[in-house]
Amino acid sequence: MVPKEKDTKDKDEKNLKINKWDGSAVKNAIDDAVKEVSISLYLQKKYNYVENFALMDGRLVICGVAVGVAMFALLWDYLYPFPQSRPILIFCVTTYFIMMGILTLYTNYKEKGIFAVCIQKDGSKKDSIWEASSFLAKYDDKYNLVLAYIDGKTKQKRETSFKKSVANFCRC
Amino acid sequence: MELVNLFDDVKRMNKRQFLYQMLSFGMIVSSALMIWKGLMVVTGSESPIVVVLSGSMEPAFHRGDLLFLTNYPEEPVRVGEIVVFKVEGRDIPIVHRVLKLHEKNNGTIKFLTKGDNNSVDDRGLYAPGQLWLTKRDVVGRARGFLPYVGMVTILMNEYPKFKYAVLACLGFYVLIHRE
Repeated sequence: MVPKEKDTKDKDEKNLKINKWDGSAVKNAIDDAVKEVSISLYLQKKYNYVENFALMDGRLVICGVAVGVAMFALLWDYLYPFPQSRPILIFCVTTYFIMMGILTLYTNYKEKGIFAVCIQKDGSKKDSIWEASSFLAKYDDKYNLVLAYIDGKTKQKRETSFKKSVANFCRC
Repeated sequence: MELVNLFDDVKRMNKRQFLYQMLSFGMIVSSALMIWKGLMVVTGSESPIVVVLSGSMEPAFHRGDLLFLTNYPEEPVRVGEIVVFKVEGRDIPIVHRVLKLHEKNNGTIKFLTKGDNNSVDDRGLYAPGQLWLTKRDVVGRARGFLPYVGMVTILMNEYPKFKYAVLACLGFYVLIHRE
């Protein structure tokens, strides 16, 4: 069941100050609060769910590889000045831009706004997964939160969402 | 914007998000680096974009113009072309025109340059004892230019504190602001 307590979370608990006109800062602040309330206070204590960082780690790995390739190219070019380093440079530049492409695809199609994933261990080998994702369009004030539950045994997905203006979460 | 608010964002980040901020910064730096290296490969020159530093090529190029260079081995240097070269032992590229050229059958060349606005040729600028330039000294041949854009680079080189201040502010902002 979707915990309705999310609606009434009180931001003044931590007295967070954010720039309300900065869309991404607002979204991040609300995402953090959702995670704090639902995961630390509710899901973890009552149901003992474990947070899973696989998605975030995937993004970190792709970025790490891209930066690593760039640093390698820099180092190689420093040790062997330009005309000799040409083939390595071609390889590094194309690899870097391919990594950028993979990162964009990953963020847009695999992550899709998901910011928290919890795994509910069920005793048997099949785990159920809770996913929370959110969308906030660029100059829009409607914050859309989607909570999905993927059952481990039947692999079915149940979703519920609510859409509210961000003004409800902030005291201006 | 109060300074305290900037650090609030950072304090709220956990380890992973902080690592992601550092990587985002790294990616911006890497993107610039990769574009520069890509340009180097495409044009074949070790410095595909240079800034004209002196007025020795007026009225063709003025101080602060940005030049695009290429350095393809199939296109040999010819008299009358504007080349950018580096004298051995000195780091500053010089943009002048080719005055005289000697070429052997196997393709080795030696040439003499002079700035349009100078009254003497460049022999005074070459290394002691050097009378001619060779293909090795060439950084590239000028292919196109943008006026005035390079003034920023000249300013940053003459006032290095300004450059460090700008870079520090940019880096700070990227690290603190969450995407």
